[in-house]
Amino acid sequence: MDWQAIWLTARLAGLVSVILLVISLPLAHWLTFSRKRWTFLIESLVSLPLVLPATVLGFYLLMAMGSRSPLGRWWMAATGHGLAFTFEALVVASVLYSLPFAVQPIAAAFAQVEPSLREASATLGASSFRTFVRIVLPLSIEGVMAGVVLSFAHTVGEFGVVLMVGGNLPGITRTVSISIYDHVQALQYREANLTALVLLAFSLAVLVTVYGLRRRPWAAAPLA
Amino acid sequence: MMCTIPEGGLLHRVRMTAIVAAIVALALGLTAYAQAAPQALTIAAASDLQTVMPELASGFEHSVNAKVTVSFGSSGNFFAQIQNGAPFDVFFSADIEYPKQLVASGHADAMSLYRYATGKIVLWARSDSGIDVKRGLIGLTDARVRRIAIANPQHAPYGRAAEAALRHDKVYDAVKNKLVLGENIAQTVQLVDSGNADASIVSLSHALSPLLRSHGTYFEIPSSAYPPIEQAAVVLTSSANKLLARQFLDYVKRPEIRRRLQQLGFATS
Amino acid sequence: MTLVLDIVKRLSPRFAVELSFTAPAGVTILFGASGSGKTTVLRCLAGLARPDAGRIAIGERILYDSKSGVNVAVQQRHIGYVFQQAALFPHMSIEDNIGYGLAALSTNERTQRVARIAESFRIGHILDRQPGQISGGERQRAALARALVTDPSLLLLDEPLSALDHAIQSRIIEDLRRTNEARRIPILYVTHSHREVYALGEHAIVLDEGRVIKSGSPHEVLDHPEQGVVASLAGFENVFDAAIVERRVGAGTMQCRLGEAATEIEVPLSHNGNDRIRIAIRAGDILVANEEPRGLSARNVLRGTLVDLTQQGPTMVAVVEAGVRFIVHLTPGGVESLGLRRGDQLWLIVKTYSCRLITD
Repeated sequence: MDWQAIWLTARLAGLVSVILLVISLPLAHWLTFSRKRWTFLIESLVSLPLVLPATVLGFYLLMAMGSRSPLGRWWMAATGHGLAFTFEALVVASVLYSLPFAVQPIAAAFAQVEPSLREASATLGASSFRTFVRIVLPLSIEGVMAGVVLSFAHTVGEFGVVLMVGGNLPGITRTVSISIYDHVQALQYREANLTALVLLAFSLAVLVTVYGLRRRPWAAAPLA
Repeated sequence: MMCTIPEGGLLHRVRMTAIVAAIVALALGLTAYAQAAPQALTIAAASDLQTVMPELASGFEHSVNAKVTVSFGSSGNFFAQIQNGAPFDVFFSADIEYPKQLVASGHADAMSLYRYATGKIVLWARSDSGIDVKRGLIGLTDARVRRIAIANPQHAPYGRAAEAALRHDKVYDAVKNKLVLGENIAQTVQLVDSGNADASIVSLSHALSPLLRSHGTYFEIPSSAYPPIEQAAVVLTSSANKLLARQFLDYVKRPEIRRRLQQLGFATS
Repeated sequence: MTLVLDIVKRLSPRFAVELSFTAPAGVTILFGASGSGKTTVLRCLAGLARPDAGRIAIGERILYDSKSGVNVAVQQRHIGYVFQQAALFPHMSIEDNIGYGLAALSTNERTQRVARIAESFRIGHILDRQPGQISGGERQRAALARALVTDPSLLLLDEPLSALDHAIQSRIIEDLRRTNEARRIPILYVTHSHREVYALGEHAIVLDEGRVIKSGSPHEVLDHPEQGVVASLAGFENVFDAAIVERRVGAGTMQCRLGEAATEIEVPLSHNGNDRIRIAIRAGDILVANEEPRGLSARNVLRGTLVDLTQQGPTMVAVVEAGVRFIVHLTPGGVESLGLRRGDQLWLIVKTYSCRLITD
């Protein structure tokens, strides 16, 4: 029963979800409401992790963060240790890999807010920021929650990227998914099952909490 | 799309929960910084060593009172990671080529290169499969054998050996359509153990493991049938614990340890 | 404070809005069919859309001027906008909705101002409810209150009452008129309903295909439509092609033959040189008799047959074949007292002055 891995994964997923929320809100806002014609380019970039296999992404992230890379070298100079094969590397990799899972539902939620409501807010003197905080965000809160839940779940389930970039170091980069895989590889099926069950229960608890906050999960709200 | 209208209570609950969750998550995440790098020895070991490395590690821990951490994985992956700064001290590869290349590129200590074992392959089938492994590879052409699991010859040394043996015995063409490839030797074992393959070519070390031993039979394929699977270990130049690393290699070289390796299915010179 | 608007905006290769008008304090109706550019005008005024060129000013304040590059942001224009669907914020109470534009004020002052304007629009009792819990009429009143509470220098209304029934419309119009007596700002009211024009307007501007085609008082614009477009907008159900048979200059009238038929009627004199003309008659201006009337001043008494009789809301719509087909509006009481049925012989009575000439 690899509690260390479970704890590490919980911390990783929690931190990544918060970071993604902070990044995704302005990014999704810009993608949805900007009138620039090249937003589709950024959309494509953001969605890239959806189509890239985890191993490919993991490999390139390793190259980008490893000791030979400019980023890795800068990190070494700034902190005294490398970037790859650390918890921080997992955070960076997971943020990139789960980005579309946060941005897409949030952007979709922003888009379904009636334009006339945003326009009304503007005519009443509200700045773009105030309109976002008081009108757009509250009306898209369920989509935002979906984005957070998805990034959390996606990070928990992440395997290929985390393995490549983390190096499977126990207590530092060995997440639950890697731990289960290790047990299976070592033919320790009982341990694997136990850990998997705990992971399942934990994920289910998170989902139940989040969806329980909503009044009507997945049902459309009745028109006023 | 419907514009969902949250009630005031929901917004408040979400706000509160979000703030609490954010604080908790950040606090948890930041505690990672409190984690110190291991002072002990970190070993990167090929996954086929799962049957033997834990024992070696704990034996060493007792003999020198140090902590040993082992990470298992594919030798190829470790090779890439080490070149990008993976913080291992020792690399036990399933294929001598990787350590050789690491020495050539300066990532590993030439003096430390040690061929710790030669791997062996066997034909293994479940006891309840009705397959007589004593017949050797020729028996795989039998119609009752529908799927044969081997490790992927593309990147697993045991897979390459399996393919070579099949060709040597001139049964490759007859059975190639029945082949199922495992990512590595451990996955290959899984395939046959779970019944998804009827027979398999796995490492001797796996065949000797308690799990496989209890419900299968094996036949050792003559080593003349395939090129030797040379497995080598090396100390990495980036290691911060070189002394300890070399001590571990010395430990592995001990006669009693080499006897143990042989018992567990690895031939030592 | 007068609104001055002079803009050009191309919306598609085939449609451009190009117009110029002034609107004094008080209610100006922007009247036109769907797609005539009315909403575009409002959006340009509010700053939600940007003209290609032109100038917009309220009194001394310049909101937009392409020559000097001025384009005041929406937030700074201080203009009240009432959307067609009210656009109330569904997750806030009515009180918070109305007070939304007053964020700069202290809570006390805001509460007071909101309460005051809610009272004047008779929604003081629903301030704690949410938009989903109140009626359509109450929503539009809340939207009006929200737009007006900020003391804007211009109020824009985009067909705000079209979804409501007549009784409620009238009451809201009353409230709006009363509020405006105190404030005297220009109010631009967009509609395609001629009923609202009469009820509300002090000044009317007719738009068609992005251009102003007529302006004046509601009566000027609607009762004497000289353009076919205005006539159909203004609700003239009967429009006939006619040929001038005889001009009676001394009497100020002329005799016309309608369509291909032998039916002739007398209409006011046209000073145009044309021999062909179009005549518009309101269905509500035609009287019906079930026996030949005598002793009438009306010059046009036509015999016809009742071909169809249906009810549309409170009105009975009769189609009468009298050489050409006339559409006549009657009250149900009128129909009943005459005992009208399909196939009945009727006489239609049309005053000369009820016949409007369309000269375009």
